[in-house]
Amino acid sequence: MSVDIYWRVGTHGDQPSLRRRVVSRGEWAPVVPGSLAPGVRDGERDDYSYVEHMGDVARASEISGFVGGLLPSFPNTDDPWATAATLARETTTYRFMIAFQPGFLHPVQAARMSASLQRATGGRLVYNIISGGGGPDQLWWGDKVEHDDRYARTSEFLDVLRGVWNGGPFDFDGRFYKVAGAGLPEGLAGQPFPEIYFSGSSRAAIDAAGRHADYYLSWLEPFHALTEKFDQVRANSDRAPKFAVRIDVLARETEEEAWDEIRRGWDNIDPTVLRDATGDSIGWQRSRSFVTGAVNGYRDLEVTPNVWGGFHLLRGGPAFGLVGSYGQVAERLDELIDLGVGAFILAGVPHLEEAYRVGENVLPLLRGHDLRIDSPLLEGTPS
Amino acid sequence: MARFLITLPGRADGGRGARPAFPDSVTDLRQAFGPFDHLAQVGRAAEIAGFHGALAPFDPEGDESLVVAAGLLRQSRRLRAVAGFHPGIATPVYAAKVSASLQRFSGDRLDWRLVVDLDPAVARAQGDFLEGPDRYARAEEFLTVAKGVWSEEDYTYEGRFYQVLAGGFQSPLAGRAFPRVHLSGTSKEALELSARHADVHVFDPEDDIEAAGPPGVTYGLRIPVLARDDDDEAWEAARRLSSGTAPGTSLRNGLVGSFETVAAGIRDYIDRGVGVFFLEAAPYVEETYRLGERLLPLLTKEGARVR
Repeated sequence: MSVDIYWRVGTHGDQPSLRRRVVSRGEWAPVVPGSLAPGVRDGERDDYSYVEHMGDVARASEISGFVGGLLPSFPNTDDPWATAATLARETTTYRFMIAFQPGFLHPVQAARMSASLQRATGGRLVYNIISGGGGPDQLWWGDKVEHDDRYARTSEFLDVLRGVWNGGPFDFDGRFYKVAGAGLPEGLAGQPFPEIYFSGSSRAAIDAAGRHADYYLSWLEPFHALTEKFDQVRANSDRAPKFAVRIDVLARETEEEAWDEIRRGWDNIDPTVLRDATGDSIGWQRSRSFVTGAVNGYRDLEVTPNVWGGFHLLRGGPAFGLVGSYGQVAERLDELIDLGVGAFILAGVPHLEEAYRVGENVLPLLRGHDLRIDSPLLEGTPS
Repeated sequence: MARFLITLPGRADGGRGARPAFPDSVTDLRQAFGPFDHLAQVGRAAEIAGFHGALAPFDPEGDESLVVAAGLLRQSRRLRAVAGFHPGIATPVYAAKVSASLQRFSGDRLDWRLVVDLDPAVARAQGDFLEGPDRYARAEEFLTVAKGVWSEEDYTYEGRFYQVLAGGFQSPLAGRAFPRVHLSGTSKEALELSARHADVHVFDPEDDIEAAGPPGVTYGLRIPVLARDDDDEAWEAARRLSSGTAPGTSLRNGLVGSFETVAAGIRDYIDRGVGVFFLEAAPYVEETYRLGERLLPLLTKEGARVR
């Protein structure tokens, strides 16, 4: 069993580094000299667009050994379906992991789009299914369904999607969806069903994950907290999924170099952000809950070796990531593999250059499952 | 000036997937040929042959049209892609958001062909049980909301079918051209919907265009064509097609004849007010080249004179 390692694609711009929190790739911030914003040249539109940069990240990931990339979806990102369909023929082995919320799309349409994408890519589609946490964002999308109902809807959505996948006729009469005589047509039916990555910490999420997920996906947290989360998923589902972790990495040749990069970013953080320990970000609160003692410097957020909880201060997104030498980061990833992690979605800023760096310097150091001395796969085999 | 688009096969292989084996004495280096390889070639043919665009029809037996359109747009520079779908596929916000990215990626070359009057059995198989005039009421809301979130930053909507709170695209997703909306149908509801929302109202050849045409909307026409050097050759090709000995699309109510004959038929429609033609002809690559080389030159000049 080998570990699938993905590399994220920024669907809403990127920073050139973690040293300053400035988005200068894409047009998500005003385009100024030095911005890399394909689509805008000398203040005018040209024939390019941000998808060119995303294509560069995808190809860099493919070349440096990642199996594919996560395409996130938020109100102000480019859409992952559109991006995957646009880049389908410009990569060969790269898997497109499309993030989407089931409620926005009818499952029959999702099946049709997915089957066509499987045909366009030769079966390289993967799902990251988000059921949505609620709040004003859901109504931005025009979604009225309440939080716990969303997981029930996700379950129905996947029942219908699987029901039509291999052809028909398929009938379904549920709380959220009803179809009669449905089924993908010949030619589209019966292709490999996309692997499902599924996340969410609530009971409803874990129930749904147990039924439908191939991988239960979590943000990185201190390893003891991750272990508890995984145990909870195992305990609450008949068919335990595999586990995947989404991790930002900052890896350099030496440990000192890596932390120096963090220090430079830290020194540029707006001090009021640091003082306001109660901040309204869940990521911040969650990360604070793992931090004991005062935070007087960036190393105070290193809760266990190389596990640093301040990434959200240097760029948008989750708090925890790995900081260290190439060897240290590889060791931490191996430890996670030992804890049962079967897939990673890694990320680093900037995504293009860091894909090469991590692919060339960290991934080759991984021992993984198969080479471990205590691997059950090796038990009883002659040494 | 009239605009001409080709109609893509509903299924991406267009019946071109099967490739008979060569005898052993013939070197065969062919590798796997995916369904989208053929589709890509049809799209490129349309671009090279000078067509304004290509329609990826909504075909329940075929590929999904937004995925098809995305591929087509990526491999062309000028071609417009018209994606056919029905309002039940997604919330209007989501349909608009996918489309906003495609507009960004393509320089605003995506258009919509919204299919409202689906056959009820087909609709139910897509999970859509709405029937009758309600379908037009929903399509009206669908287009209203899609256009609303597209162009307003703080958009709220409360309708029978859809609801949005504090929605609307922000920069850089905002500010692109909304897809040109293509609608069809000759019922009162269909024509009223077109008057409010369509850029192009697409007729069938047998429709009474003059009587039905909604005001302020460009008329489109879906029309099968089979054109050859002379009428006899065209009718011979039509005979083979209808006897099933040659591949192609249905010619019902279509134009068959020499290039001049077919051009004259099209000019009649231009005189009746049609400005956009969705030509239907197969095999797709070959017919697209043929029509681009031989038929369009007869019409470009005439079209300019008529309009």
